[in-house]
Amino acid sequence: MQKKGAAKQISAWSQFLSQMSASPDKPEALADMVVLDLSYANFSGTVAASFLAEAGAEVIKIEPQEGDPARIMTPFGANVKGVGIPFLMESRNKRHLALQLDEPEGRENLKRLAARADILIETYAPGEMDSWGIGYRQLRELNPGLVYVAISPYGHYTARAREFANTPWTDLTSQAESGLTALIGDLPDTPDPYNWPTRAGFYAAGYTTAVGAASAALVASFFKRRTGEGQMVDLASADAYASCVGFPPTIGSIWKKPRLRYGTLDYGLCPYGFFKCQDGYIAIACFRDQDFRAALKILGRWKLEEDWKSLLDRITDDIDKVKELNTEVEKAVAPYTYKEIAEKFSEYSVKAARSKWRGGGLPVTTKMLTPKEVLEQDHWQVRKTFVKVNHPVFGLVTLPVTGKMSKTPLRVKWISANIGEDNEYIYTKYGLQGKSP
Amino acid sequence: MAEDYFSFTGKLFDRKEIFQKPEALKGIRVLDLSHMIFGPTAARFLGQYGAEVIKVEVPYQGDYWRGGTYWGKYWKHSNPLWHFINHSKYFVAIDVKKPKGKELILKLAQTADVVIENFTSGTVEAWGIGYSQVSKINPKVIYASLSTYGQSGPFRFFPGWDLLAQGASGVLSITGYPETEKYFKVPDFFGDFFPGYFAAMLMLIALNYREKTGEGQYLDICQAEILMRSLFHFTHLEATGEELGRTGNIDPTMAPSGIFKTKDGKFLSLAIATDKQFRSFSKAIERPDWAQDEKYAKAFSRLKPENARKLHDEVAEWINLKEVREVLALGRKYGFAVSEVMDDVQISEDEWRRERGSVVSFEDEMYKKLVMEGPIAMLSKTPGRIKWLTRPLGYHNRYALKKLLALSEAEIKELEKERVVGYWDYRVGQRPPVYYDIRKDPVFNYEGGDNH
Repeated sequence: MQKKGAAKQISAWSQFLSQMSASPDKPEALADMVVLDLSYANFSGTVAASFLAEAGAEVIKIEPQEGDPARIMTPFGANVKGVGIPFLMESRNKRHLALQLDEPEGRENLKRLAARADILIETYAPGEMDSWGIGYRQLRELNPGLVYVAISPYGHYTARAREFANTPWTDLTSQAESGLTALIGDLPDTPDPYNWPTRAGFYAAGYTTAVGAASAALVASFFKRRTGEGQMVDLASADAYASCVGFPPTIGSIWKKPRLRYGTLDYGLCPYGFFKCQDGYIAIACFRDQDFRAALKILGRWKLEEDWKSLLDRITDDIDKVKELNTEVEKAVAPYTYKEIAEKFSEYSVKAARSKWRGGGLPVTTKMLTPKEVLEQDHWQVRKTFVKVNHPVFGLVTLPVTGKMSKTPLRVKWISANIGEDNEYIYTKYGLQGKSP
Repeated sequence: MAEDYFSFTGKLFDRKEIFQKPEALKGIRVLDLSHMIFGPTAARFLGQYGAEVIKVEVPYQGDYWRGGTYWGKYWKHSNPLWHFINHSKYFVAIDVKKPKGKELILKLAQTADVVIENFTSGTVEAWGIGYSQVSKINPKVIYASLSTYGQSGPFRFFPGWDLLAQGASGVLSITGYPETEKYFKVPDFFGDFFPGYFAAMLMLIALNYREKTGEGQYLDICQAEILMRSLFHFTHLEATGEELGRTGNIDPTMAPSGIFKTKDGKFLSLAIATDKQFRSFSKAIERPDWAQDEKYAKAFSRLKPENARKLHDEVAEWINLKEVREVLALGRKYGFAVSEVMDDVQISEDEWRRERGSVVSFEDEMYKKLVMEGPIAMLSKTPGRIKWLTRPLGYHNRYALKKLLALSEAEIKELEKERVVGYWDYRVGQRPPVYYDIRKDPVFNYEGGDNH
């Protein structure tokens, strides 16, 4: 009886999950919001605006006629019809308006838009918008409900913010200043430059600030929905990594010494990393003692157990000791293919999970995949993680998308990136004055 | 004359006034059934801006991260790296596997605006506390399931965490030096924290929608997918047919760029993002010819590997003959991005961060002083704040059960006897610090009323 009930429940739940995907018929969560994206040469602002656009807000990207320089920040100069790849990827569901903020007419038009907007995102040097008469101080008079989001390297207040107001944004300097690059790189005894601080190979800081900015804008919007009051939101990109993971300030303060680069080892425990096998790299990560024992049994290295019994033995405060264990795991993994190890792990896990005696451990693993291999995985195709949009100018564009919400899923409705291509639409809809540039 | 801008903003964000200002998410109750880092971080993000977060743990075991740490070092019998992930929450310990425990969790879920869980997919449904069960008694609930691979798709039953998500999403394969066999992970469980913030963003989208329509919903939040969302590599690959691979210290989207060693043996990061910055930088480095050179003047050409490499190597030579302070001064004068590579100690002691509030020295009643991260975003009217550090396992049992579920002292004693609710055992991370007299603590021994 119980089993029959369970089957019914599972089937109802699977049915529910199968209806999670985005569909044009579903409502959009932020359909009632207007967002002005003034980001200039700063990817965090652009990306924050993308998230809001994916959730249904009307996002108006405002840039001068010569275009936002973020358009030309692109790996090795790769571009599609003059638009860089990162910018193209973030050109989702946005309207493109060309406006000259250095001219009085442009500023007046911006004020007209700001009077109607819910959120404004800007990344100019702190004080610059204010000096143009369109900063938070002036716009809040026009629209007390406006949520004004500013993103800059050191924020809009403090002595340093003033002193270094003209510093431009980059992802690399944000990574370095917020404590990330100091932790990536090989062990001290390896040759230069491999033991130097190393960059995380994507806009790690840029996207972190972007998520922080969009989330904070939504916190402020929630407050506005309840009270009618807008406010200013300030993010510093030099905070990105440390203000996301939180480890650097606490570790620096309690342990009084900085962590050095640890190569492919882990600060927490060993083994915890990817190891080279016959056809790639495979994750061996043993958190609990029983998981470690399981891995040793599977890899035929049970004789190691005695020396490395408990978690405390495998904690990596003694680097030489831990290298020993790491080398043993390397040797144990090397002769196998990924499939061989993965099958053994999974067989063991299934057995252990079914066993009444739960001390067996649940070793789990995965293979390191390149972006190309990720695109080939069935799993992401089933989940529709990558959408392909066919654009008359840019051709077929592949975009990652996430945010599965049962009622208001995030979605890509269109891509567009031509400067000022929606001028007419915006001029008419929002009653802008003068000649559209 | 108008007030100076920085004097205006200085007052707007005055840190002395934080506790006098309102909280944006006040009145929002979050039931945090999650553990380790990914889920708890999302709950913490909401809690920081005023949501009331009730964290439910297994009695006498607790969240595994209570006992975790780096290098095996603990602080006052707790994991120092656990406090900032779970500050300002209420800690209750209820055993979901006991029928009465499940009932208590459902009763709490009935009163919640947001429920967060990060067990292997399907687990909460099997326990009877999933969305299909909670939405029956609380149709307006926003229920978020967080997992590595998501709730649907062939990998849905694979457990995972930061490391596996970094491997499965492509993130691991793009950090390091191309000529080596080493692939560096992004440290400090970034693959949990960043998706945790992203998860909070999705919950806030849902909260804004609910405020307007009154409707709740279910969120399937997938860690690996969120990491993929932050990579332009897929779009690049499909547009060009080429993989970017690893590029060491060079950011291939900016030229010149890299991490360089100075004359005084320190490391500097430098990146030139725009053509205008490049023109200015070529003056700073005393190579005005660069700005005229057609190979370099425009970004698309400057970024080509052979050109970017040449610029990189010349900048490396130049910085090698300069001291840190000289290059930083030039950066300020000429308006290009350069900054020192900061380590843990520099960040913890940085005056700017203290003044800004992105690093704070918090004074807690139980644990006393801890230096920790502040909010990532500063809000002028509803600033984020830290109210207390974490508490021992089950510390708020009485407070939550009496105040939220109106249970009596006798009923709670009965639940304790049946081990439906419980507390800490001897293990580090669960118990109070030895110097702390828990018997005299008015919250732990909560009798009723509105304090705390």
